[in-house]
Amino acid sequence: MIYYITSIALILIGMYAVLVKKNLIKMIIGLSLVDGGLHLLFIAIGYVDNKTAPIFSKESLTAADMVDPIPQALVLTAIVIGLAVTAVALAIIIRLYDHHKTLNVNKIRELKW
Amino acid sequence: MELNFSPVHFIAVPLFAAFLLPLLGRVSQKLVTLVPGVVLLYLSVVAITLFPQAYDTPIVEIIAGWRPPFGITLVFGPLAAFLVTMITLIGFVVWLYSYRFIIREPLEKYYMLFMLLIAGSTGIILTGDIFNLFVFLEITAIAAYSLTAFLRDHNGAEAAFKYLLIGSFASAFVLLAIVILYANVGTLNMADIALRMGDVPDKIKLTIMILFIVGLGIEAELFPLNGWAPDAYSQAPSPIGAVFAGIVVKAAVYALMRVLFTLFDLPTSSHFLVVMGTITLLVAEMSAMRQQQIKRMLAFSSIGQMGLVLVAFGLGTKEGIAAALFLMFSHAVIKTMLFFSAGYLVFFSGHKNISDLEGMGREKPWTGFFFSLGALAIIGLPPFSGFWAKFYLLVSAANASHIFLIALILFSAIIEAVYYLRVVGRLYFKKFNDIEIRKTPFTGLLAMGILAIVTLVIGVYPDFIHELVLPAANELLDKAAYLQYAMIGQ
Repeated sequence: MIYYITSIALILIGMYAVLVKKNLIKMIIGLSLVDGGLHLLFIAIGYVDNKTAPIFSKESLTAADMVDPIPQALVLTAIVIGLAVTAVALAIIIRLYDHHKTLNVNKIRELKW
Repeated sequence: MELNFSPVHFIAVPLFAAFLLPLLGRVSQKLVTLVPGVVLLYLSVVAITLFPQAYDTPIVEIIAGWRPPFGITLVFGPLAAFLVTMITLIGFVVWLYSYRFIIREPLEKYYMLFMLLIAGSTGIILTGDIFNLFVFLEITAIAAYSLTAFLRDHNGAEAAFKYLLIGSFASAFVLLAIVILYANVGTLNMADIALRMGDVPDKIKLTIMILFIVGLGIEAELFPLNGWAPDAYSQAPSPIGAVFAGIVVKAAVYALMRVLFTLFDLPTSSHFLVVMGTITLLVAEMSAMRQQQIKRMLAFSSIGQMGLVLVAFGLGTKEGIAAALFLMFSHAVIKTMLFFSAGYLVFFSGHKNISDLEGMGREKPWTGFFFSLGALAIIGLPPFSGFWAKFYLLVSAANASHIFLIALILFSAIIEAVYYLRVVGRLYFKKFNDIEIRKTPFTGLLAMGILAIVTLVIGVYPDFIHELVLPAANELLDKAAYLQYAMIGQ
């Protein structure tokens, strides 16, 4: 239960940061928080109490002793995607900063929404 | 001769080319320009070779020997065949156009991202796995963000940031939808999910559906989630604007429809689609009228056309979906041509504003001609493909006895006529204000010429495409058949 509450809290904090903060870097941190929350939620869904990691590390382990491996595999993929998005975002922010010499969103809006 | 083509090539070849290009760049810049063209030509050949087979019996490719529902499958049915062929052909034409267009920035970066984008969007269409769909959506999106920011001298970075922020939210929604879906059905294969969907409580189903509509709707330019589109279209390099309109949006619309039609039962969503499509259409057309910049106008017009596509899908009849696919094809061809010619007009005159393009049509007769042709085609005048797209849409709306829709579609055509012909008028009937004019590259003219011929030929023989879209529409409607062949080996 604690995992669900934490992950949803993370998602909400992240959304708050993206929507309210004016600093570009903080907005990106917010995005990463949303991602992190989602990943945690996904892992929490696949978690089974008192079960071990889905690796055949001992002879005696059977599939019934393990947690669901699929969410873990998917989350690994999702983490990589999140990393790529964050990297692109930061690269774009560098370019924006070079151009405008500020990180405040309100000051760099030249295009209309 | 036995040719061993397989749908995997559509994803693997451009992906491989994308990672090969930076290496090739060290050998020769000429190779960097040529390889994407060869790849896209090859993909077009594969698509056309596999085409009859897909219409006969859909090809289901099982990746790495894991049978569905455990492994990832690629499903190459009529719908996928139609859209993938469209994407590879448009991609090839875009390459022709880019051949001489990109000048200052590093070539290998541009083509690498372009190849990734092709791999991502064909992947979206081919995959039979919902998480795989998410991955391809992200590949496409990341390539699209970077391409939007490609030109340093434009406002690209700002448009790209906006796009990235909205796009990341979209992907968060899609991922959340997948998480909830997985928690309830315990599988990721789309056909398998569809089979187990009956056990899911209605409220959870609705939640998942809303999350999917919001997440995929952002990429599919559904109102009010399309705030990123006009900026991204106008700030990206011109060929990329064409790619957004011709490829990315089409793949996203496909994803939305696949999820809505296959995972969820249609009747609950169809009214919703008609209403959202109508609002998207009206708002976009009204906004297009007010635009001063030619590319922003094209972007809004593109959103409006996507609204029409959604309305057509929302009708939910076979005819309606066929009309939607026809419209998607026709729009991909015409809007690509419009973006190409608008790109040259902006490039030669050095101004983005419509008012600064006065007399360009006299100075650049071919470019102006292609733009005017595209404008007439998209309004829906015969003998262009745009006419038949709207005609089929009107017929299906009439058969579904949605009289107000007919009025709406015709009304939107009038608005389109106003703002397109305003530009065309300026191109020809105003005096040219003196600026230096360079020569239009031959490949650019060739690219536009091919598209012009396609829209004309389809305008004269619409049955050719119409016969192709009917089985494709059937695939989307006939859920049982899709489940049967996508779950091969069950």
